[in-house]
Amino acid sequence: MFRRLPETASDSAEVTLWVDGEPQQVGATLSVAAALLQQRGWAEYRLHHDGTPRAPLCMMGVCHDCLITIDGEPNRQGCLVIVKDGMRIETQMPAAQPTPGASTG
Amino acid sequence: MSENPTSSQVAEVAIIGAGPSGLTAATRLTKAGLKPVVFDLNAAPGGQVYRQVESPQADLRVTGIDYRLGQRVVEAFRRARVDYRPDSRVWWVQRVDAGFELGVLHEGRSAVWRARRLILCHGAMERPFPFPGWQLPGVMTAGAAQILLKQGGLLPEDAPILVGSGPLIYLLGWQYLQAGHPPTCILDLTPRLQWRLPLRQPGKAWHARGYLFKGLKMMLALKRAGVAIERDIEALEAIGDKVLEQIRYRQRGHWKQRPASLLLSHVGVMPETHLTRSLGLTHRWHAEQQSFLPVRDDTLSADENLWVVGDGAAIGGAVNAMREGTLSALEVIASYHGLTKKERHERDGLRRERARDLCARQLLDAMFLPSLNIDAMPEETIICRCEALTRGDLDQAISDGAEGPNQLKAFTRCGMGPCQGRQCSLNATLLLSRRLAQTPDQIGQWQIRPPVQTITLGELATSSMVENRVT
Amino acid sequence: MRQDFFIVGGGVVGMAIAYGLARAGQGVTVLDADDTAFRASRGNAGLTWVQGKGVGMPSYAEISLDSVQAWPSFALELQQRTGLELEYEQRGGVDLCLDEEEAHARRTEYRELQAQSERLRRDFHWEYLDREQLLPFLPGLGERVAGGTWSPHDGHCNPLYLLRALHAACRRLGVDIRQATPVENLARTESGFRATLRESHVEAERCIVAAGLGAKRLAPQLGLSGDVFPLRGQMLITERMPRVEQLPTPQIRQTATGGYLIGDTHERVGHDKGVTLPMLQTLADKAVRIFPFLRSTRLVRAWAALRVMTPDGYPLYERSLTHPGAYNVNCHSGITLAAFHADGLAQAILDDRIHTHFSQFSGARFHVPSTP
Repeated sequence: MFRRLPETASDSAEVTLWVDGEPQQVGATLSVAAALLQQRGWAEYRLHHDGTPRAPLCMMGVCHDCLITIDGEPNRQGCLVIVKDGMRIETQMPAAQPTPGASTG
Repeated sequence: MSENPTSSQVAEVAIIGAGPSGLTAATRLTKAGLKPVVFDLNAAPGGQVYRQVESPQADLRVTGIDYRLGQRVVEAFRRARVDYRPDSRVWWVQRVDAGFELGVLHEGRSAVWRARRLILCHGAMERPFPFPGWQLPGVMTAGAAQILLKQGGLLPEDAPILVGSGPLIYLLGWQYLQAGHPPTCILDLTPRLQWRLPLRQPGKAWHARGYLFKGLKMMLALKRAGVAIERDIEALEAIGDKVLEQIRYRQRGHWKQRPASLLLSHVGVMPETHLTRSLGLTHRWHAEQQSFLPVRDDTLSADENLWVVGDGAAIGGAVNAMREGTLSALEVIASYHGLTKKERHERDGLRRERARDLCARQLLDAMFLPSLNIDAMPEETIICRCEALTRGDLDQAISDGAEGPNQLKAFTRCGMGPCQGRQCSLNATLLLSRRLAQTPDQIGQWQIRPPVQTITLGELATSSMVENRVT
Repeated sequence: MRQDFFIVGGGVVGMAIAYGLARAGQGVTVLDADDTAFRASRGNAGLTWVQGKGVGMPSYAEISLDSVQAWPSFALELQQRTGLELEYEQRGGVDLCLDEEEAHARRTEYRELQAQSERLRRDFHWEYLDREQLLPFLPGLGERVAGGTWSPHDGHCNPLYLLRALHAACRRLGVDIRQATPVENLARTESGFRATLRESHVEAERCIVAAGLGAKRLAPQLGLSGDVFPLRGQMLITERMPRVEQLPTPQIRQTATGGYLIGDTHERVGHDKGVTLPMLQTLADKAVRIFPFLRSTRLVRAWAALRVMTPDGYPLYERSLTHPGAYNVNCHSGITLAAFHADGLAQAILDDRIHTHFSQFSGARFHVPSTP
């Protein structure tokens, strides 16, 4: 897990993020991946297609190991998206399932 | 190739990246009356080095004095009122006639831009450093940890272990120390002999003295604080079931084991060559920087109307990137209406400073040259993280007849995952180089395919490009 | 020791024949291009496909049918020899019709094809299914798709792994594969053929030109037809998605690793391997029209490859009239025909009866009016 430096904890704006249905208060400057690393750590961040657990490696848009579902859209790069109030995040444990039948409507 | 060029938006000069080089290039061009457009992947200016510089989340005492320089550059950029487009993914770049066509994705919509001149300021990435277990959660790069520090003032809850080579390892360790949370230990992978290089090259050492003293100061501070600095590390493994639990390393022939919750690794940075390769530019292997660099002329131009500057061209650090950004702006200005005497003077001064600084850089490159033999990594070491391909998988394909990087990619899917080969391309080439006994230049790197950043089918299909084209 | 054959070209076509000949005990040398070669197999969707083949030339449909029937055992044998998985499946396939007009034209074409051949009337099975009927085979199929023709013969594989398996199998069979060995010219010697290389040469009793687009220059040197031109195909591949039970289509198919492969473009643009923005958009539009659920799926890679085309689109199989012992093999569908190339065609070359058994496929058809 990561935690906030004490001197910055007070003076920064916060937003509410819904992570797997649970509300979380996080710093407004964080990326989605950074917020997850702070709130939950790197365990159970994402399951890779080979069945192994993965978590963010680079935090700068290169490695794609931070893939996460943001507002219903699977496999977004969590390190590139800055949190917004009310954003819904789902960790991909296991990988997101598409619903081909459902979207034919 | 586009039937209707008038439908796209037009930029006099397009700049990709808003790090040190992109900021100075844009600011200088604007000062000369030109109207550059700056596209950046990030939400705020500063790049990786000056991330979050406008609303710092960590005290400058922690992040270090250099951050102030970044603040000044960003302020100047803001004052120049540049057409700046953050959160913009340039996913498509192609040469069209004498200029360029860019596909830019912003908030789920893609637009086509035309630019007569293009300055690439896209920056560097950390050199991928494969070792057994590096895919485990709990292993991150030191750069990633620094981003967390800058972006949100985030520190590891439990003291981490730092491993690698290069100044960033000590900088990060020092920053954690300043914040009152030093790492448990630093495993330094730099071969011991290389530490003595400054003594053998006093001329270069003099130019590099600023860097060397800063490094020494940080190292001493860490030692004084009781951080163990282990040298002569020959091999490394990360071990754990679902997350990192232990690390094992071999030091002077003996295996040692330590419990670990977070391992932060770093073996230097290298230019991110995705854009320059997708534009078909020539790249050459640079032995000192252990990376492929786009070939540029003395004016930092890599092709007609195209400049590549900053750490995306060759690693020179933030200060050098700022100089190169300004230099490229002066070259663009020159291509419009020549340079005044004053501008020529400015250019020549910057060129001299750059030459001096790059001389120091050569020493730093040599000092921190990582000794990574990808072919000596254990067979089970993952090389392509996306496709979960090991060194053994790649070797099997080579023995089946993969004669080069393109065939190796085709035979294994190495580089075909979402990171588009950014994490494995160099190591695939280096492995081929060792196995086929050819130089990295002879082996080359596989072709880069668009998109240079991922884009969804929906964004591509219903983009504003479509609307532009039918009008 | 002099080889029985040298083959110019180490792509899917050349390697399938090399495999067939080596399996029959022949000594074979393959002269392959370097790592930057055009490699039509990279632009191939990986279909093992009968539908749409041979309209206007029933014998082409017949060999395609032969080949897909031979594919299961061909794939199994390759997998057993190399341990490599080809991701081959033959569960039928659907060629989609986006609108009614296309659907009508398709049915007319297939009926005309069958009217020309007793064999095809008997053995080529197909059926037109409208969107509702297709849904069980293509869950999530978009509403703006009219229907498609289904055929049980059709299937798919990973064309890149096929090429790798052929290389690996040929190596194990003792084929001498020379990589990055461009051929400068071809000539007959007193007792065979010689390929002149940059710094040396290779000789064999007989030679096969399987050089794809390279045949344009090389084939005429031995009295063979060089009538081939490049056809650019642009393709998209998405990120991995969980596997869905569905049939492949030439327009889009889910690969064994989960990515959706989108393709089916044909452009005559010379040797330009570039990808174009309008074509990417067209392909993306088509993909989300067929499978609307792919709208939020990320595109990982777009690329173009040059496929090999003859003037009429049918394969070119011929023995040289002026240089007996020299053969020319060139075609557009090297994946579908791989099983046939490794078996029936390799055997016909070995027995020197290409000109009697496959005379319709000779390049002479481009120069002489064909007999009805």
